[in-house]
Amino acid sequence: MKAEAIPAVPDPITAEQARAMSQRRLKKHHVAIVIVHWFNAVTWLLELATGAGLVVSRHFRVAPAWFTALVEGVFGTRANMLRFHEALGLAWIVVFLVYASFGWRTYLRAEVMHREMGLDRNDWRWLAVRAARLVGRSREALPPQGSYNAGQKLFGWLVYTMVPLVMATGVVMTFRLIGPAVVGWAIPIHFAAVGAVLAGLMVHVYMGAVFPEEKSAFFSMVSGTVDELYAYNHHFTWWREMKLAEREWMRRHDREAEGAVAAPVPDADEPGGTESPD
Amino acid sequence: MSRYAMVTDLRRCVGCEACTVACSAEWNVPPGHGRTRVHRTPVTGTFPHLRASTFVAQCNHCDRPPCLDACPSGATFRTDDGIVHVDRDLCVGCGYCVAACPYDARFIDPVARKADKCDFCAARLARGQQPACVTTCTAGAKHFGDLEDPASDVYRMVYLEGARRIETAEVAVGPNVYYLGRPEQLALVAASFAPRRPRLPAAGEAWRRLAIPLVAAAVAATFAGQAIAFFNQLRKGEEDFEG
Repeated sequence: MKAEAIPAVPDPITAEQARAMSQRRLKKHHVAIVIVHWFNAVTWLLELATGAGLVVSRHFRVAPAWFTALVEGVFGTRANMLRFHEALGLAWIVVFLVYASFGWRTYLRAEVMHREMGLDRNDWRWLAVRAARLVGRSREALPPQGSYNAGQKLFGWLVYTMVPLVMATGVVMTFRLIGPAVVGWAIPIHFAAVGAVLAGLMVHVYMGAVFPEEKSAFFSMVSGTVDELYAYNHHFTWWREMKLAEREWMRRHDREAEGAVAAPVPDADEPGGTESPD
Repeated sequence: MSRYAMVTDLRRCVGCEACTVACSAEWNVPPGHGRTRVHRTPVTGTFPHLRASTFVAQCNHCDRPPCLDACPSGATFRTDDGIVHVDRDLCVGCGYCVAACPYDARFIDPVARKADKCDFCAARLARGQQPACVTTCTAGAKHFGDLEDPASDVYRMVYLEGARRIETAEVAVGPNVYYLGRPEQLALVAASFAPRRPRLPAAGEAWRRLAIPLVAAAVAATFAGQAIAFFNQLRKGEEDFEG
């Protein structure tokens, strides 16, 4: 195989290179992450609908009357809706506990650490340029990004701080723990934490489902892979890491193959392992 | 349609608490709490002209119950017959209604950890029986019936004998428990057991005045930003899309 130079910065590429790269896939997400992502998406949709449908008091309602009536109609009674909301919420917590405890070593640690890594200067610059471009105020190129871009990292922070609150307050309300004062505070905290995630979630959904430049990210949540061209353009730092790792793997593989072939012939000349695999 | 009301004749009440016991037995009310309770006013006046009264408190099944709006999930609701119910399947035990009730007629059942209060013995009414406190009252002080029915005791007592509500100019939410008594007795009772202002606990206020506006602002701002981005995207087309 021909050794390719791996650029240190995202240089412009030729149309031919772009076409070749668009045909090659890189693995982005573990299949468990893909499955849990969609389980999470469906759960959030149902919990948001039933949660908004449950609050009917004039003081606190956020959904219009037709919506609460509609959701109540689906479930028959609001008491059924509450039971569903609680049961699905508990199932969601159990799934995430299982997911986190079984997946932590195998794939989650790297993923979460990547996501939660502090935002570096490139990331902050990326946010500024991204916002300016979104409202049509800039055409500046986005600074290179790792496996998750700065926007995803911010959303990650939001989710990782708010979701434990949502879960804890949900459990408190479901089992009416400790006392009425605690249950009383659990409701506004539950609401505010969900609201904060919701604001971020809207951007997340927009970016994934509507925004044309991130289409590949959406499909990567189905296939688990992205094409190299997208990775090069949107997650250059990650692309480079992947290519370097791939080259390292190929070198080691070739060395081992050569070693295996070379072993029965003791007087064969060893090249020393510095040769690039061509 | 019925419009249920309770009348307690304080001239007959001897404060024996038979109503409290009957109610607690009927509804398994945990010790230390009561759906109905008997209170006593302080003794006023100078000897030998002393004055005091018993007072029987319970849910007033108000026409405009403050507990209704305080209850987030609608576990507290009012039926057309005027009875204010608690749907225990919907109650999460947040206690907002307890703070909202101007008559302090509600409590959180420490066993079920859900709100509880008098419901005019709705289950007994459905069986054609009177509320437990009424059938038990040793002195015949408690009367229950339909204010729409001119033949009922409560109609006579409220509209002809001047049974009165315990409310103030400030807190007038239309209670449907009325009291009969000598005028000075009723004045003493009204002064001693006047309703307080309904309130929301700090958590409810924080939810209503802080959390909801903040979340609404955040969601609206995000939505507006996306709308701009989306129209920008439509205007620009997908020419810049590189993969």
